Amino acid sequence: MSVLELHDVHKSFGDLKVLKGINFKVERGEIVVILGPSGAGKSTLLRIMNFLEHPDSGQVVFLGKKLNGNYKIIRWARSKMGFVFQHFNLFSHLKALDNVAIGLVKVKGKSWHEAREIAMKYLEKVGLSDKAQNYPSQLSGGQKQRVAIARALAMEPEMILFDEPTSALDPSLVGEVLEVMKSLAREGRTMIVVTHEMGFAKSVGTRIIYMEDGRILEESGPTEFFKNPRNERAKRFVDSILERVI
Amino acid sequence: MCRRSEGGMKGFRIARRLLTAAGIFALAAVGYVLIGKVYPFNWGLVLRYYRLFLMGLFVTMKISLISIVISFFLGLLFALMRKSKIEFFEDIGGLYVWFFRNTPLLVVILLTYYGVGTIVNLDRFWASVIALSLFEGAYITEIIRSGIEAVPKGEIEAAKSLGFTNFQVFASVVFPQSIRIALPPLIGQFVSLIKDSSLASIIALGELTMMARQVGTRTLASFESYLIVAFLYIAITTIISTLGRYLERRLAIP
Ligand SMILES: Nc1ncnc2c1ncn2[C@@H]1O[C@H](COP(=O)(O)OP(=O)(O)OP(=O)(O)O)[C@@H](O)[C@H]1O
Ligand SMILES: [Mg+2]
Repeated sequence: MSVLELHDVHKSFGDLKVLKGINFKVERGEIVVILGPSGAGKSTLLRIMNFLEHPDSGQVVFLGKKLNGNYKIIRWARSKMGFVFQHFNLFSHLKALDNVAIGLVKVKGKSWHEAREIAMKYLEKVGLSDKAQNYPSQLSGGQKQRVAIARALAMEPEMILFDEPTSALDPSLVGEVLEVMKSLAREGRTMIVVTHEMGFAKSVGTRIIYMEDGRILEESGPTEFFKNPRNERAKRFVDSILERVI
Repeated sequence: MCRRSEGGMKGFRIARRLLTAAGIFALAAVGYVLIGKVYPFNWGLVLRYYRLFLMGLFVTMKISLISIVISFFLGLLFALMRKSKIEFFEDIGGLYVWFFRNTPLLVVILLTYYGVGTIVNLDRFWASVIALSLFEGAYITEIIRSGIEAVPKGEIEAAKSLGFTNFQVFASVVFPQSIRIALPPLIGQFVSLIKDSSLASIIALGELTMMARQVGTRTLASFESYLIVAFLYIAITTIISTLGRYLERRLAIP
């Protein structure tokens, strides 16, 4: 059984067609990297997987269950699908530890005491046990994103979605977040990552999806994709990004 | 070192405030003596009626406290309605705010007592509580609404993405943050409410202002009675603001 399947997903905002028939599957242990220019619909696609946006038509199937507006199933799916946002979205009124613990309390029904113990383990995992008592405003961008990753991990998700997790970071802080993501990859976790970090895509991704204008234009393994993109626009996109880096 | 200099700053601020207070007090004393040449103050006469002032103070505090609680919950309820996805609720919330923000409180009190009060049996006290709560609730609705709107959308989505129910999103993320944002204007509104309660004297509710008028009429020493009442209002509202600032500091997030 695939972890996630999308069947002919369409989405418009008013007259603007953002997704024009998206099909793909994610198998357990895969690390799918989604590339594409701004406005391609990458964030919208991720948000639809988590039902933060509702598709106009098409199907999202998660662990064999159709997500079709049933509130209970959606909440179940969300609790098993981590979401790491570009702007971290930590709860600013809670300390780092409680940011990680609150999902366990509210969704998994654990006591605060037990939840905090578990949360501490995950903060250790992302190297931030010493910041447990800090509020988000007392953390650097890289630290905030690592807490956000710990928050997602604590729920023991079947799959984690990352929407440009390093785009809002100071260049000097990108590395620490990518390191954590690489360690998750080594554990064999299922991940979908929207990013502009070509190095990460190349070395960690097991599959690259190139999106533009609401469509998937190319889908291939990383070596294949970076060596010889079949699609002309994908090629130009990769070149432009690599140029920017150099 | 740093701490001592902070302490020094604080000491300086207290000294400056004391100096200001002393200056104002001196000015007031001079003014009092000058006015006294034209208007012979007779405090003894007025203070003989201290029981009336205390009764008035008690009624004012009772009506204010009850109305603060009710108006807060009305404000919360209607703010949620205004933010509701159900258009009917949204419209009701809008209508409520529109009506009470565009009607003078005096008229609301008269309407409640002489209007509603003739249909259902309402005494002066509860008519005043209802009028005051409904009126201030409209302002509190807007204060809480803007507090809710100030909560970052991303945090709401983060909570949803963990699998929170809508109620959990509100109770664990939206409410604790919006109440912190709304606290200073909320306290300001509660202070207004206390002062506005003086309008209940129009339906002869025996609160502070009404009592001052009574004492004034009986003793012909209105100036003194109203000065006492002004002082008592200032005392209550200052206590409320101070409590509010304390709460703000307690709840502050770094
Ligand atoms: N809630 C919304 N309402 C209206 N238009 C939207 C909304 N969300 C996204 N869009 C539009 O949909 C298009 C795709 O947006 P999306 O955020 O999915 O792109 P993206 O590929 O993630 O781009 P970026 O790399 O800039 O993040 C854009 O033109 C955007 O303006
Ligand atoms: Mg995006």
